[in-house]
Amino acid sequence: MNTKSYFFQSFAIVALALVAFIGFKQILPDKIFSESKLDSKNILIDSLLLESVAEDSVAIDDDSVAANERALNKQKIVFDQTEEGIEFPAETFENYKGYQYLISFYEKLYQLEKNPQSKVRIAYYGDSMTDGDLIVQDVRTNYQERFGGKGVGFVPITSESAASRGSVKSTYSKNWKTQSYLNVKKPTSPFGINGHVFFANDKANLTWVQYEAGLSKYSTSLDNATLFYGRSSKVGKVNFIIGKDTLKKSLSPNNLVNTLKVSSGSVKAFKANFVQADSIPIYGFNFDNGSGVHVDNFSQRGNSGLPISMFNADVMRAFNNSLKYDLIILHYGTNVLNYGTKNYSWYEKGMTKTVNKIKESFPGVSILIVSTADKSTKYDLEMKTDSAVVPLMKAQKHYALETHAGFVNLYTLMGGDGSMIKWVDETPAKANKDYTHFNQRGAKAIGNLLYGQLNKGYEEYKVLRQKRDAEGTKPKPVKKARPDSVSVTKDSV
Amino acid sequence: MTTIESINNWFIQNFGAITIEQVKSWFVYDPDEKLLFNTGLFLGLFLVFYFVYGFLRKTFYLRLTYVILFSLFFYYKSSGIYFLLLLLSSVVDYGLSQIIYKESRDGVKKLYLVISVILNLALLGYFKYMNFLIVTYNDMFSGNFALHNVFLPVGISFYTFQSMSYIIEIYREEIKPTKNYIEYLFFVSFFPQLVAGPIVRAKDFLPQIYQKLNLTKQDVNNALFLIIGGLIKKTVISNYISVNFVDRVFDTPLSYTSFENLMASYGYAIQIYCDFSGYSDMAIGIALLLGFKLPANFRTPYKSTSITDFWRRWHISLSTWLKDFLYISIGGNRSGSFAGYLFPSLFFFGLLLWGMSCYNESIIPLIIAGSSILVFSLSFLLSSKIKQTLVTNFNLFTTMLLGGLWHGAGAQFIVWGALHGLALAVHKIFMEFFTSKKDKRPNFLWRFFSILITFHFVVFCWIFFRARDFETALQVINNIGQLTFEPELWKTIVLGYKNVFGLMLFGYVWHFLPETFTNGMKSVFDKTPLLIKAIILGFVYWIVYATAVAGSQPFIYFQF
Repeated sequence: MNTKSYFFQSFAIVALALVAFIGFKQILPDKIFSESKLDSKNILIDSLLLESVAEDSVAIDDDSVAANERALNKQKIVFDQTEEGIEFPAETFENYKGYQYLISFYEKLYQLEKNPQSKVRIAYYGDSMTDGDLIVQDVRTNYQERFGGKGVGFVPITSESAASRGSVKSTYSKNWKTQSYLNVKKPTSPFGINGHVFFANDKANLTWVQYEAGLSKYSTSLDNATLFYGRSSKVGKVNFIIGKDTLKKSLSPNNLVNTLKVSSGSVKAFKANFVQADSIPIYGFNFDNGSGVHVDNFSQRGNSGLPISMFNADVMRAFNNSLKYDLIILHYGTNVLNYGTKNYSWYEKGMTKTVNKIKESFPGVSILIVSTADKSTKYDLEMKTDSAVVPLMKAQKHYALETHAGFVNLYTLMGGDGSMIKWVDETPAKANKDYTHFNQRGAKAIGNLLYGQLNKGYEEYKVLRQKRDAEGTKPKPVKKARPDSVSVTKDSV
Repeated sequence: MTTIESINNWFIQNFGAITIEQVKSWFVYDPDEKLLFNTGLFLGLFLVFYFVYGFLRKTFYLRLTYVILFSLFFYYKSSGIYFLLLLLSSVVDYGLSQIIYKESRDGVKKLYLVISVILNLALLGYFKYMNFLIVTYNDMFSGNFALHNVFLPVGISFYTFQSMSYIIEIYREEIKPTKNYIEYLFFVSFFPQLVAGPIVRAKDFLPQIYQKLNLTKQDVNNALFLIIGGLIKKTVISNYISVNFVDRVFDTPLSYTSFENLMASYGYAIQIYCDFSGYSDMAIGIALLLGFKLPANFRTPYKSTSITDFWRRWHISLSTWLKDFLYISIGGNRSGSFAGYLFPSLFFFGLLLWGMSCYNESIIPLIIAGSSILVFSLSFLLSSKIKQTLVTNFNLFTTMLLGGLWHGAGAQFIVWGALHGLALAVHKIFMEFFTSKKDKRPNFLWRFFSILITFHFVVFCWIFFRARDFETALQVINNIGQLTFEPELWKTIVLGYKNVFGLMLFGYVWHFLPETFTNGMKSVFDKTPLLIKAIILGFVYWIVYATAVAGSQPFIYFQF
């Protein structure tokens, strides 16, 4: 055996290996495990988004975008008085919040504060960020804490995130036939308020859904449970099982949207067995106590927000007749970050259609756009804010302004550049290791931030309202609120 | 001139321009950039260190001091100012060990030993368990104590155990103390095993200090083989699957399908093995390059045919430490002691309380509590030597509970330890009833099922170990419980995460390769010329680098 000291050979190996490494680095590719394109048919992502990305061939050079941006940032946005004579102070594009466009919502809140028997309803549309009622349940709790109201609002029949939802527990049989606006263009019957339509077509087995109240502070019981279903040529039957009692009811699907009360008053849990209900579009159940604020969570994984533009406005108006929305929140963006593009004009166009569809469907409703949150990606060896985040956020701000919607800049609200990394690394962590989604704790923080901004606007509104009443200014003649010449700046596209 | 310039350009192209700031960052503590063996910075520093070390091989104190300084620097890079804590605790422990050695009266000796053990455990306790204790107290008695803002110095669990082994071995007169403080500090601060083990025993290590430093070709071969394996296990397999899959599922288990939860559990089992054993292997390899032989820490643990076998193959340096200094100290299989009865009793009492407090919502916790007490009691009541088995099982259970707690401050680690403790007791009684016939190798099927069952039990326990809290662990288990056979869906998921699943498969195949095969690979490696070895090592560096820069897999939800 060789007993001679082997130190220098050993050193030589380690050192030569370094040389070999440098050689390999030159000839071999930069990365292994490249992010291969996945077969999109297996992934939950909306088809309209994929089409828009494919169509997007408009190229604009970066300089003109930058120049537009500079001009835009400095642009003063001046609001005109509304017919009620309220005018929020002017804003810059950079810090745009658009409280002016939430006035009708704020007025309803004000009325509710004066008369606790009235109601205010919010629809919160979102993507996987709001799965399992994350964020939304915190916004809901904040509102119900201050303005009253009980119940989780409208809950669909099935949802891929039902298991992770704590504010209401729902279980359902596996034989529901579901169509989602995410990947179906022409549904058998129109989509419901949350973009889904469900059918109990199985004749051999029972199709059922069961709800149980969760543990949220203001939703410990299911109040005034009401079934929503659509129009069909056939009639059907449904059995509600509450404890040991069975209530047999029939479905008469005559109108575009029909309702059926399960029971007045509150129950802890119930089960609905659908018998002979095939071809009747079933939408979901609503739970609210009839006064105060109610917030519906319409989350859908993989959604970009574009599919809302396919809503059937007549059906939505029918929903609105019974639910009466005052504010629609659109919280999207996560799913449009990963397409290697930083030019979001196609998304602006698409989302403008979406907002217009909302306006058509819910006349007079206030609209709030919530921007994408911060998201990190690895660049070389370091995690950084994804380069698409800021361009997307700006695009969202732009269509919010253009469509006269309020705006919450979630990216800056959570801390801006690099904040997601902090949220993930913090102990206790507030976001998940995918550097995209918040966990319970983080979602609560986001919910509070969101409510905080909305509420700040409301407080300002109350001050302005008081001032108006004190000055006794008469409401001005009808004049549309309009930002000053901002829309012209996008002409070069 | 042009040559210098071109060299400079080449350098910048490959390494980037080096600024003063950068150079400073190499030597200053940065909490976000720990100096791990698998970083480029460590490689660079080690090369310089190793070059000088080679020249010092014939000196003694000069070499020891040189290594100590590098070790302290290494520790400073990982824990900042807390390297002073390491120095302080080593001075105190060294002083106490001298007193114990020189003292002849047994009582006084014991007193100093107790003082030293208490000091070490208090140090560990403050840094590791203070907040856990406060939270537990606040929860139980609705107290209102504020949490301490405690920084957990890296590797404190390892070096306190190591210095305790030194003192206890001196007390037991198994070793003689080192001649002076320098030698002792060398033992405690030796950088290869300083932050993540293996926990080196004084009686294995100290004799090597005094031997003439020698490094044979075979040593270097062994070292390189270990380092290469360790790098691949730690940086390629473990890091990639944790960031891109396992962490996500364990963050929000309910957002994923049953199949993804199941795969994440298998994934975590291979991840923690690769992470831990990979780092250990690198430590052993680096120590070997310096001429020191550390004991093996893992022997393909998932090949174990029983849970008892598992603990002889998993984190061996810890389990032998616990056996020698905890299990035997509280009585081993001979006698019971207060501590030996206290912890299991407290645990079962707590379990029962939990069961009763949940009774209104569900009876299951009470059933779990009752049946685990029953199982534990049966494990000695059924034995033919009730009394001896009773003390053995109580002491074993205590060891596993505290061993669980050693891994981290949290109820889920205690549960993890308890599950293993219970399984060890059950296996013992099982062995008593079905003693395998001597000299007869169990048949293949028997072996296969033993391995399969042991492996799945271990994976099940890992769920508690990994989950953020108890509730998350139950969510994962519940979700897996709802698994149905849907091959189409599984195929979609596997294809969606093909890198992750490919690496998992690679990890498991490597793990379960027959020993003859790995030995064969090793002997081929041994025979290759020096240059080829360097190229192989260089290629592994590249793999590590290329994996590290690989972007994380974007987030996906599957459609089904």
